[in-house]
Amino acid sequence: MGAYITRRLLQMAPLMVGISIVVFALIQAAPGGPEAALLSSGRFVDPSVVAAYRTKLGVDQAVPVQYARWIGAALTGDLGVSYSTTRPVVDMIVERLPATLELMACAFLIAASFAALIGMASALRPHSWIDLLGTGSAFIGIALPVFWLGLILQLVFAVELGWLPVSGTHTVGSSSFGDHVAHLVLPAVVLASRYIASWSRYFRASLMSVLESDYIRTARAQGLSESRVFFAHAVRNALVPVVSVMALGLADLVSGAVITETVFAWPGIGRLFVQGMFARDYPLLMGILLMGSLTVLVFNLLADVLYGVLDPRIRYE
Amino acid sequence: MSRGRIASAVAVVVCLFAEAGCASSTPSGEEARKRILRVAYDREIDVLNPFTSQNLVDISFSMIEGLVTTNERNEYIPVLAKEVPTEANGLVKREKDGSVVMTWPLHQNVRWHDGVAFTSADVCFTWRFVASANSMTYNREEYLGIKKCDTPDDHTVVFTWDGAYAYYAGLFEAILPRHVFMKADGKTEMSVDEIVNYEPYNRGSKTIGTGPFKFAEWRSGEYIRVVRNPDYWRGSAVPAIDEIVWAFIPDNNTRLLALKSGRYDWGRIQPTQVSVLRNLTASDVHLIDANSVMHFDLAIRTELGKQLFSDVRVRRAVFHAIDRDGMAKKLMEGTVKVAQGPINPNSPYHNAQVVTYDYDLNTSRRLLDEAGWTVGPDGVRQKDGRRFSFVMLNRAGTTDRILLAQVIQAGLKAVGIEVIFETMESAAWTQRWRSGKWEAMVSAWFLPADPGITGLYACKGANNMAGFCDPALDEILERSDKALSFDDRMPLLHEAQAKLAEQARMLPLYQNVMPEVVTKRVQGYRGSGTNFGSFWNLWEWKLAS
Repeated sequence: MGAYITRRLLQMAPLMVGISIVVFALIQAAPGGPEAALLSSGRFVDPSVVAAYRTKLGVDQAVPVQYARWIGAALTGDLGVSYSTTRPVVDMIVERLPATLELMACAFLIAASFAALIGMASALRPHSWIDLLGTGSAFIGIALPVFWLGLILQLVFAVELGWLPVSGTHTVGSSSFGDHVAHLVLPAVVLASRYIASWSRYFRASLMSVLESDYIRTARAQGLSESRVFFAHAVRNALVPVVSVMALGLADLVSGAVITETVFAWPGIGRLFVQGMFARDYPLLMGILLMGSLTVLVFNLLADVLYGVLDPRIRYE
Repeated sequence: MSRGRIASAVAVVVCLFAEAGCASSTPSGEEARKRILRVAYDREIDVLNPFTSQNLVDISFSMIEGLVTTNERNEYIPVLAKEVPTEANGLVKREKDGSVVMTWPLHQNVRWHDGVAFTSADVCFTWRFVASANSMTYNREEYLGIKKCDTPDDHTVVFTWDGAYAYYAGLFEAILPRHVFMKADGKTEMSVDEIVNYEPYNRGSKTIGTGPFKFAEWRSGEYIRVVRNPDYWRGSAVPAIDEIVWAFIPDNNTRLLALKSGRYDWGRIQPTQVSVLRNLTASDVHLIDANSVMHFDLAIRTELGKQLFSDVRVRRAVFHAIDRDGMAKKLMEGTVKVAQGPINPNSPYHNAQVVTYDYDLNTSRRLLDEAGWTVGPDGVRQKDGRRFSFVMLNRAGTTDRILLAQVIQAGLKAVGIEVIFETMESAAWTQRWRSGKWEAMVSAWFLPADPGITGLYACKGANNMAGFCDPALDEILERSDKALSFDDRMPLLHEAQAKLAEQARMLPLYQNVMPEVVTKRVQGYRGSGTNFGSFWNLWEWKLAS
């Protein structure tokens, strides 16, 4: 297993370089340049200032030259300086990461627990009202756009009922834990909603097929209690395919909370990315996208490793 | 097992959330007594240096003051300067060699937030920085006319200009603290690049100004907090607010809901959102006329543009087919007023007596007929085998502009002109717009309080993307740029506005408004539509309990 993991980690290096080339090319292919930020406020900007700005940033050079410069620095761990804030990209990402990780972890816990509950209930009583309810809400969950759901929950719980705050991570001046959790509830639930929907469907399907397996019948025939059959034999086996879906979803959550973070003014990576995109802040975008790619690769590996843990029959050479 | 356990698990999760949701967020006693102004701000800013920031700089201006600022009537008023120099008060003198010497008397007893005295040397330092090639200041060009900055004493600055520049009173809206930008030896000043990249000043830890508030905290992506400056030079009674929290809420809908929830004292919303907040009891919605006119541009830099729009009759015909009243009253729900020119009606330089283009399809059709554009078999006009059809460039995400484009499209269709849309993402649109490779679009500038419009409409104006040129207008604009008094400049700008309207250079649609939602407990607010923003008199603001 150790050798397998090392090999996979080594394979990641060339893969990341490949990804960086594609991402760099894509970012550069988008029309407009970093001067967009200079002009976005609508103020008068002298064209000579725009030209000087482009020269200063080096974006007037050929794309391969820019990439060579970027990768040269990146290989030494220097992801460059953000165009708009003149700060090191690494600092900016590190600063925003905790908020995203926190939101992601909460959303993951909510999504995983609700998906498991709904999936199990549905699989135990297929085609019952509980299953129909679970399936129905799953489809609604997948269909609802995140920004819309976010706004509706804000309207109901923050504006009309006044129970929860609309946005941010805490009330300024208050350091209470309860206040922080209150800020976390809506974005975490909204972010979790889509995953609850899809993961519960996967779990239901997987569990239903496991429950029909011979070994479950054998377990029951051996006189094991129903709860032991269900949790020790059925659920554990049903988890194997769900885990890979969840691991990839988790990678998605790290880099993909763009909309939720924007709607809830949550100070995470997703919002930083949006800001970077509008400003055509190339170094910042490269930094965030590479971090996202790396996360996907790492979670892929994690999923593979987890297979082995969950199913002792799976062995890696 | 299972049903019972599942039910209890559900109950636990629900309880967890119920508890979290109901957790009260009462700050401690001292915190509660603080008079805190909470602002729902529409973007996160990049840096606090007001000259290198690419955003509008309300937040910086709460800490950093300049020689002048602008009030709600679009006038430049002195801040760190005792008065604005004019020929009338004897502080502006024209020399025989054509140069102009301007003396700015400065307030005494002004101190930076760290206690160091503010002096004329700081002003000259700021000038040297802004005028440098790499300062990245958006209006650097305007500072280039200053050839010399002298400091006869600590409280007097004398600028020698190489000629007369009408906009002189609108510069130096911020002053940089020279002592903060010294190298470690304490004697030499940092280079321009070092200043631009100096993180302590850009990020707050050394963002030192002379203003009513001092930097306290910047939580990335969340908010900037500034606190009362107890040693403010205007006296210890001001400011009357203890703290301002600028929370970054860039999403328009979220900001609307945040304001509706009553947790913020100030926030800007979209004109089309005004009706949602009109009935709030604790807040007022102020419709601030921005120094920005939404206008419909026709351009003649491309071959097609030249063929279609070079004839003034055609431009007038196009403008007569556009229902601006409908735009203002229906589309913008009556929040805006139809505009007739590029200069804000609040400005003393605004000319209200110009040719207007009323919505009149018959006039439009007649003018097109006169210009030789006859209706073809497909209903679209044509001339010399060319159909009257062009592409209008839209900027994605700007809902209001796209709606306006649709009204324009419908109006022009009624007179036999075909408009096709091309919608581009913001940065891409900006690039195309600046390249001049387009025929028509709806756009808007955000202008300073200074009424100069030369850059927009002179033949070689840096921002004349539409490409029209009239040497006679150039001459008027040039003279207006050299007029140092209001009485000299006003008639020239009136004439220029009249000419622009006559030549149908662009169709002003309406004066953009910035609806500002302000709670009733805020006193002293006097919203301003210039690029210096509504917080220009923060030191006077009070919060009623």
